[in-house]
Amino acid sequence: MTNTNRAAAVHPAATMHAEEFAAGKISRREFLTRTTALGVSAAAAYGLIGLAAPSEAQAQTTGGIVRVAMEVKGTKDPRLADWPQIANVYRGWLEYLIQYNADGTFEGRLLESWEANADATVYTLKVRPGVTWNNGEAFTADDVVRNFARWADGNVEGNAMASRFPGLVDTATKSLREGAVVKVDDMTVQLNMSESDVAVVPNLSDYPAAVVHASFVDGEDPSVNPIGTGPYIPQEVSVGQKAVLVRAPNHTWWGGTAPLDEIHYIDFGTDPSTMVNLAASDEIDANYETTGDFIEQMDALGWKKLEIVTAATIVVRMNSATSDLYKDKAVRQAIQLAVDPKVVLELGYNNLGTTAENHHACPVHPEYAALPPQTFDASKLKPALEAAGLADAEIEIISLDDGFEATTTAAVVAQLKDAGANVKHTVMPGSTFWNDWQKYPFSSTTWNHRPLAVQNMSLAYTSTGSWNETGMANADFDAAMVKALSLADADARREQMVTLETILQDEGYIIQPYWRSLFAHVKEGFNVERHPSNEHQHYKWSKA
Amino acid sequence: MLIFVVRRLGLMLLSAFVLTFVVFYLTNLPPNLEKLARSEGSVRMTDEAVAQWIIDNGHGGSVLGRYGQWLGVVPGWSNVDEKGVPRGRCFAAGTDPALAPRYCGILQGDWGYSTYFRGPVLPNLGEKLGATGILMLWVMIVMIPTSLLIGILAGMREGSRTDRVLSTFSIATTATPEYVSGVVLVALLASPVTGLSPLLSEWGLIDGKILFQGAASPDRITFWSFTLPVLTIALYGIGYIARMTRASMTEVMTAQYIRTARLKGVGFRQVVLRHALRNALIAPFTVIMLQFPWLLNGVVIVETLFNYKGFGWTLVVAAGNNDINLLLGCSVVAVFVVLVTQLISDIGYVFLNPRIRLS
Repeated sequence: MTNTNRAAAVHPAATMHAEEFAAGKISRREFLTRTTALGVSAAAAYGLIGLAAPSEAQAQTTGGIVRVAMEVKGTKDPRLADWPQIANVYRGWLEYLIQYNADGTFEGRLLESWEANADATVYTLKVRPGVTWNNGEAFTADDVVRNFARWADGNVEGNAMASRFPGLVDTATKSLREGAVVKVDDMTVQLNMSESDVAVVPNLSDYPAAVVHASFVDGEDPSVNPIGTGPYIPQEVSVGQKAVLVRAPNHTWWGGTAPLDEIHYIDFGTDPSTMVNLAASDEIDANYETTGDFIEQMDALGWKKLEIVTAATIVVRMNSATSDLYKDKAVRQAIQLAVDPKVVLELGYNNLGTTAENHHACPVHPEYAALPPQTFDASKLKPALEAAGLADAEIEIISLDDGFEATTTAAVVAQLKDAGANVKHTVMPGSTFWNDWQKYPFSSTTWNHRPLAVQNMSLAYTSTGSWNETGMANADFDAAMVKALSLADADARREQMVTLETILQDEGYIIQPYWRSLFAHVKEGFNVERHPSNEHQHYKWSKA
Repeated sequence: MLIFVVRRLGLMLLSAFVLTFVVFYLTNLPPNLEKLARSEGSVRMTDEAVAQWIIDNGHGGSVLGRYGQWLGVVPGWSNVDEKGVPRGRCFAAGTDPALAPRYCGILQGDWGYSTYFRGPVLPNLGEKLGATGILMLWVMIVMIPTSLLIGILAGMREGSRTDRVLSTFSIATTATPEYVSGVVLVALLASPVTGLSPLLSEWGLIDGKILFQGAASPDRITFWSFTLPVLTIALYGIGYIARMTRASMTEVMTAQYIRTARLKGVGFRQVVLRHALRNALIAPFTVIMLQFPWLLNGVVIVETLFNYKGFGWTLVVAAGNNDINLLLGCSVVAVFVVLVTQLISDIGYVFLNPRIRLS
């Protein structure tokens, strides 16, 4: 389970980061994120700053079942997956090249190690020896190359991985460039990028990047023919009802023995009060997430609270591509500045987080740059709307009908109303809301935590980003993003981040009021980990 | 009698036909098809890709033609996708289209593929109907005896204190819709923070944190998980049937022959049990049969509230996800249940009351 990178070959930037850490310039978490992204193992990274790596949980007992309340959405082709919940089911048998751990480090899973050259254009990936698929075949460099081809295929509609490897893709054919991913030998793969890219490692660890077998038919449901390298296989996946993972028979998992015998996902809808009820009646042992008022209720049941501070957030954004109301930058800015993040955090999320700065970069990101604080002034909204001839226009803000999404949006609506705008709050159930999430003129969207700030920003705010929900198309922003994505060194990238953050804030598309601390609860007697990206790394779970 | 039954069956087919067409038309409105494409393909698809997806998956062409395919009077669609794999309504991907039947609609017994459950409609719908059947059975077991007893006790002596108390109860429960009574019951009996459960738990009267469960699963039906859903549906019906029984009972109790029996010295108990009861039960019988369609209505609310995966829950997810075939299947089942129970009620009526002739 430990990474065997040679300490002698530590990336030069890593030593530099160690000095920065010693000088107090960066936090331990930032240090770990940056150095492990450069291919330094977690153990070596801890070693660089003179700490011992935290050992895996104390002696775990083997056996037992854990029942988790989570929506069961049915599995799809991993690269099309649009929910961490989908991935948490196929994570039982499909593994990743690299894993992002809850402490902010990157760990090789199907890769034993990786190395980046100084300007992050060439990555050398070492395949972990001794890994087998559960049909008995060995896992080799060919599997890695084949999966890169799958990920880079931009001709597949909805491929979440396609825009993540710009340096590997041939823009004419929208697929993997000849010579971009080279098999050096059976155990080594080399990535030759046409441009430097710092997000390769985090991208390989994100939930759509699960590695599938050669027999997998693109676009099919992976649970039908579950060939994977992981310790479990799906026994049952009933959409909307339950999913059961059991140990893969006749399969020796490279990681040893995963403690739990079975993992049951039980879908009881999205109503958190039902979840509290289930916890009280001993129908579940852990939940996917606890939000808002329900944190106290779950605490009161005597369950263990799992908390993690993250860059997960909610963005209440306008869309200029689908609505004429928000084409005027002055209007957007006035709306943004009429909403005080402190109030939203308190009313919408019970102060269970920290305020953000309307630019979607969080202090936990290594390249975060501090901007001068914004001045909020609700009194300027009315004149701005009048100037744009929108004094009587109805502003409709759409959100989910429940949870913190609804309360946060309501807090934004209330402040805009107080500022004199004609605002209407429309709620929708989750089953219909997400069908059109990118299209709504003004709505709230939850964003998961990602290890680097440039990751969400490039997905959401560049003109070509696959999750662009604002209609923002700013050439300067796009150019600065290209530069930022070529700088392996976070300090160098920070200079670009100042530009990116300033433009994003100034465009006024988003009201991004706070960073969420994420919570979940687990019954006494179970070891379950809360992950900042909602990943369920089942092999770390156990029954005490 | 036979003509009557045949006519009723004809009516049933016509209703099913009309209803399914309406449902088909509504679920096939362009925005609904786009929604389906996004949930089936990926939320990240472009508009062009969505339009292509709709055509590739057999949702192009005229609504009537597609409805005909579902019925099985128009040959099922088929095409070849960009990778050269033939796809179609009547065969699974990867099988030989030459072997597939030309028609595969409801008339051929093919209920289609459910996009939500990712499987054929019929077995899924059957399983969910079974789960709802169990719920309905328990509702009937609780509801019928309780309501008849309340109705008879109240109607025996019109205007007495018993009558007033029971009538008040009946009116109160009938006037409370399921979505109110269900929430009240959960808050009162199945919440670890409010209602009776925290008190009982504090006093050590219950082991767990809550008295009853606020969610029920067809896999594991227990007294503790089933009480609240059953009670929620039954309460509404109890009040209604009891009111009808009471009205019928008071009418019978004022009839000439009851007075005659009383004057001849027959005991009150004997009069009620021997002479009044049978005649008083004719009206409630129809009402009980009429409750079946109402129950279908009630299970939609209750199954959603208690997360019980039955017919009502299926209807909600089918509508929420625009699962065309599943929704059509639900419509056929609903028409069938409603009209069959009405048929049984009409026939049963004849046996209870010889004065009524059918046709």
